Order: sequence, then structure tokens, then C-alpha cells
Amino acid sequence: MKRQLSYKEEHAFLRATIDNMQQGVAMYDAEHKLVTWNERFVEYLDMPEEFLGTDRTFSDYIRYLGARGEFGDNIDIEKELAKRLAVLGTSHSFERTRPDGMVMEVRRDPVPGGGFIATYTDITERKRQELALRQAMEEAESANRVKSSFLANMSHELRTPLNAIIGYSELLAEDAQDRDDKASLGDLEKISAAGKHLLGLINEILDLSKIEAGKMEVYLERLDLERSVGDVKTIVDPMIAKNGNRLVIECPPDIGTLNTDLTKLKQCLINLLGNAAKFTKQGTVLLRLSRTSEDGRDLVRFDVGDNGIGMTPEQVGRLFQAFTQADSSTTRNFGGTGLGLTITRHFVTMLGGTIDVVSAPGKGTTFSIVLPDREGGEGATSVADDLGLEPEGVASSITVLIVDDDPAVHDVLSATLGREGYVLLHARDGAEALSIMRKAPPDIVTLDVQMPKIDGWSVLGIMKSEPALEHIPVIMLTIVDDRNLGFSLGASEFMTKPIDRSKLTALLRKLAPAKADSTILIVDDDADVRELIASTVKAAGMTPAQAANGREAFGWLSNHEPPALVLLDLMMPEVDGFAFLEKVRDFEAMNDVPIVVLTAKDLTDGERAFLAERTLLVLSKSGQPIGTLGAALSALAHRHHAGGTKAGQ
Amino acid sequence: MKVLLVEDNEMNRDMLSRRLARNGYEVVMAVDGEQAVTMAGSVGPDIILMDMSLPVVDGWEATRRVKADPATQAIPIIALTAHAMAEDEKKARDAGCDDFDTKPVDIQRLIGKMKALVDGQ
Repeated sequence: MKRQLSYKEEHAFLRATIDNMQQGVAMYDAEHKLVTWNERFVEYLDMPEEFLGTDRTFSDYIRYLGARGEFGDNIDIEKELAKRLAVLGTSHSFERTRPDGMVMEVRRDPVPGGGFIATYTDITERKRQELALRQAMEEAESANRVKSSFLANMSHELRTPLNAIIGYSELLAEDAQDRDDKASLGDLEKISAAGKHLLGLINEILDLSKIEAGKMEVYLERLDLERSVGDVKTIVDPMIAKNGNRLVIECPPDIGTLNTDLTKLKQCLINLLGNAAKFTKQGTVLLRLSRTSEDGRDLVRFDVGDNGIGMTPEQVGRLFQAFTQADSSTTRNFGGTGLGLTITRHFVTMLGGTIDVVSAPGKGTTFSIVLPDREGGEGATSVADDLGLEPEGVASSITVLIVDDDPAVHDVLSATLGREGYVLLHARDGAEALSIMRKAPPDIVTLDVQMPKIDGWSVLGIMKSEPALEHIPVIMLTIVDDRNLGFSLGASEFMTKPIDRSKLTALLRKLAPAKADSTILIVDDDADVRELIASTVKAAGMTPAQAANGREAFGWLSNHEPPALVLLDLMMPEVDGFAFLEKVRDFEAMNDVPIVVLTAKDLTDGERAFLAERTLLVLSKSGQPIGTLGAALSALAHRHHAGGTKAGQ
Repeated sequence: MKVLLVEDNEMNRDMLSRRLARNGYEVVMAVDGEQAVTMAGSVGPDIILMDMSLPVVDGWEATRRVKADPATQAIPIIALTAHAMAEDEKKARDAGCDDFDTKPVDIQRLIGKMKALVDGQ
């Protein structure tokens, strides 16, 4: 049966509850007078006794705390107070750092009938941990960079003495041979062989670290497959002979040519043939080439088979992991780093192909690599779709990276833009896009907003944080509900706050060629930011005009000639940046005016969702607007040529 | 056959020069790219073996200079680098090298390439 508490008992329990909470609690009535509080509130706020439980109000407390320097120096306390009073009607919270370094989370919740409860939580420790975690992450990232460069340098340092070991042992072996000194000759050959083995391991580790650092480049050339296979045979013949194996090559005389990376293809085949030879004794190792096709693409298939010891399904499952061989005894029995297959798989992926394996214990193993004919000129670092049309006009030297997880978008853009002569690069996700950009910055990037793993906004954020990529014009693509929106070309650039003056100057020069009469319209609600930008604009020899929000900006545009450039903040009162972008294209004269969006360095999730929903700059993927994209690209390309600087270089 | 070996690393220079001498070649040596360009003109080698990472003037630039001078441009140049990467080979060929090999050298393979270039002229 439920216990009935007397009023006194209930009061005592509530009092004990409040007094023993880990938070400071205070309750104010409808007239903002303090009516209930606990010890921790007194401790946290350090309020004098005479303030508590009197006719003094919340406003008196705030003024008192302000005068004591609790909110920092040089503040306008009436402004601070007004800010606080304005939000008392709704639940809200914020963080405040006290002069003694304590970080407090302040929460205020209104109570029915007027008044509110204030709760104060000491989050100093949580903040400290967050900071430590962030620092740890930054350190880990920097350690990873250090690791990559260490490996690259180290492998060079290791190779130099190794060169001497291999070279001098071979020199001495030649001497021994001349003297017919068979005992020395055998020993010297062992030194040389061990040195070469070590060199091979170092090269593999370097390759893998390069792959992991995204620094491995693909060099495409059209190669004669029969000749390439002949080169591979020369290299693997001694390995095949070692275990008494026989190499059978099945290469149709009409196998023809393949556009791919010769060094990487050879290394893959040598790895697979070397493995086959290592795990097979007195048997046959087969290399078979054939042509196949899939979805209309021409492919070349390389099968490397053996009738050696084979593998169990578990061993096959672990096969492509770095530093893992079928089991640890394999290393003892057969040697090797266990990196060869990992590297092979990476290379095959970089070449746009696939690798599969079929194996059974005692039945041997067959690896199959299928590679596409990579279209594009020699030396291209990525696939460039060639529709067999000669590039022409300004587009011929413009590289466009298309980033989208939807293959249909690639097809549509290839068909449309490829015909215009643009050199197209393709990335299926954000990570691949960044890796391609870092290897060879394209002139223009089209970026899908919604992609798995890294979304478009994150890719944009990362690009704007890397000096080599930040200048590349980006066109955001997303699926829009309102098709009309698709016709509006939005911002051509983003800049992050705080504003870097040198970057801003460079951007001004690029987008608005300096003329005495060039006017730059600055739309930002922060007067300090406006002043800073205005002074930079003046220093660049142009005339600044200012507007505190979108409404003022429209007012300005109605009374003036179109500016050379608009610098636009997104978060503003009244008419914000998004609304401005939506409506500004109604001004016909504004269609050719570039708009640079100024955003905080990190877009919040809310802002991102807002942008993604409202589709800022955005061209629709559906229906007609492809033509508009072409026009947009061409406009960017012209501007970019006129500017005389090649983006990202 | 007279070979100009351009290599800044003393051990590599010693090893390769002795092995070439043993195979019947006359070897002259330069230790940096600038010296290599001068000696290409003054010594008149039949072939140049060029390390790429060299002090003063690097191997790529030295190659460009040798290939730009009508008096020396006919001399074949084989680039030698420690990094067996495709982009190194392309970089060397773009600078004007006639062939490319990686260190540590396989002496028989290198001699094969040298013969092909000199006899093929």
C-alpha cells in the first residue's frame, strides 16, 4: 500500500533531495525573486547571504555577478542581462567559464504559472576530458603522418647500406669465380641472396605505406600484353625452376593491348606467380590470359593457377590481410612478408579491377585478376572517359572530377560533359574523391551531397582546409524537390570564418578582376566582420558596400548596379543567406555575379541538414538542368582561364 | 667503350666503377650534376649512367642540359634510381633519359641496356 506522507515529511524529503543533488539548483517565482535554492547554488555562484531570500530579483543577481567580473571584463552588463531575460520563457542551456576556470553548464527551465528553475552543473572535468580527447586525436593524426614519412625516409636509409652489401658481395663473388674459389663463392652468393631478399621486403613495406598514405600513383600506358607477359616470364623463370615446377603460359596470339599501369600489373603477376611457385613442388604453374566483357566493357582476365598445397576456406578468408599468411607456420616454412597479396589487391583496385581466388587443400589454388581497359591518355593519373570525340574549345584542358555514389549520374554527366570536351575524372565516394584530388587537383569538382561514409559537405569542409585543394571551385549537386531550384546557380565558392585576409584577397582577384569601379557587396550581420572585409576589399583596390542582412542586401541591389561579387554570410536575422540565395536569382542582372558563401569553419549538423534540405547552390540531377550545369562549368572555366591561374596548382 | 658514371654516393660509385671496369669498360666519374654536364662535353663518353638525386644540379636537370647541347645530345643516358616506381621512370624519360634502371643494379641487365643503346646508334 502506498505510504501517505505528511506535508512536513514531504517537505523534509524534498529539501533533502535538493540539498544533496550534485547540481546547484535555484527556483525563481513569477516576479523573478529567488524562493528556493540549495547549498551548491550558494557555493557555485558565491552569492552573499543578504542576497538570498530577499526582495532582490534575478536581474539584481546578474548585475551583481557582472560587477564582480563573473562574465568577463569589459562587458555591457545591461546587454548581457537583456540577452538572459529574453530567453527566460523557454528552456535553454549554455556553458559558462568562471574566473577561477570552473566550467559550468547553466540550464533554465520555465515553471507553469511563471518563474523558472535554474540548474548549475560543474562540467569542468568533462570539458577537460573532451579537450584531452581532441588533443589525443590530433596527436594520433599527426603521428600517422609522421609514421608515413618515417617509413618513406627510413626505407631510403635502409636501402643505401643494403646496396653496398649486395654490390660488394657480388663484386667479391665475381673475384672468387675468377680464382675458382668455390667455398667463398657459395658464401658470398648467400650474402647477396639474403640482401636481395631483405631489399624485397623493404620495397614491399614502402609500397604498402605509400598505398596507405594515398601517395601511390597510377601511370597508364597502352601495353602489348604478349610482350608484357614475356617480361614477367623472364623475371619469374628462376623462381619457377627452384621447386622443380614448370611454367605454362596460355596467351592467345590476338590478345592485343591493354591500357593500364605496366609496373603495377607486372608486380601483381610476379607476386601471384611467385606465390604459386613457392607453394608448389614438382608441379605446374599456369598463367592464362583471356578477353572477356561485362556491361559492355572490355576486360582482360589473368588466371594464375597451380596444383600445389592449396588452402582451406579459413585460410582463404585471411588471405588479403596485411602481415597475415595462411598460418604462422607458413612463414617458417615458406618465408615472405605476407604483404605481397595485400599489395596485389590494392594495385588491382587502383587499376579498376577485381581479384578472386579459388582453392582447396591439396587441390591447388587459382587467382584471377580481371582488369578493365582504362581509357585515357598516357600518364593520366585516373580514368578519363573518352567518348572518342576530339576535345574542343576552352573545355579541352579543363579537368572535372565527378563525385557521386550513383553510377547513373556518372553516365549522364559523362555523356553530356564528355561531349563538351571536358576531361572527366570519377570518384564513387568522398574518400576516393579526396585521394584523386590530392594526387592531381582537378580544375572543377562536382560534389554529391548525400553519399555513404563521407558526405559532400564533409568533403567540401576537408577541401577547404587543405591549401592544395581549397581553391578548386566546387559545384554541389543534390536531388532537389523543387525543380525550378535546379536552374539557379548558387554560390561558386565557400570561405570559412575566421576570414583569412590573404585568402580573401586572392579570391577577390580571381572572381572580380580589379577595376576601379568594381564594387563588392558584403552581406553579414556582424559589423566587425563587415569592417574587416571592407578594409581588405579597399586594400585590393575595390569598393566595398555593406548590408547587415538579406533584406538590406536586396534593398541595396534595387538601387545600385550589380556588384562584381557578393560575399554572403549564411546565418543572419530577418532574411538569411539561404533565403537570399533563393531569391537573388530573380534579379536578372545578378545571374552572372559570383556569390561567395562565408560559413563558420565547421558547419553544424543543423546547418548541414538545413543546407541539404534547402539545397543551396544546387543543380538538380533530374531532368533538364544538366544543360545548366554545362553552362555553370563553362562560366567557371572561362573565369578561371581569364584569371590566368590554374586552380589547385 | 667509355662510360661516364655520375654518382654522389662514394660506395655506389666505387662498386659500380669496379664492376664496369672488370667487364672491360673505361670508366670516368662525376660526383654531381654540374660536373656531369661539363664532363659530358670535355670527356666525350659513349654513354652516361646518371644517378637522379645529385647535389648541386640534380640528375633530371643535368640530363636536360646534356640533351639541350648539340655537342652532347647524341650521348645516350641511362637513369639510375633507387626507387623502382613508375613515376620515377616517367620523370626520367621526360627529362630526356634514353633508358632507366634501378639500384642496386643487376650488372648483366645494365650491360645489356648499355650495349643496346650504344650499338643501336
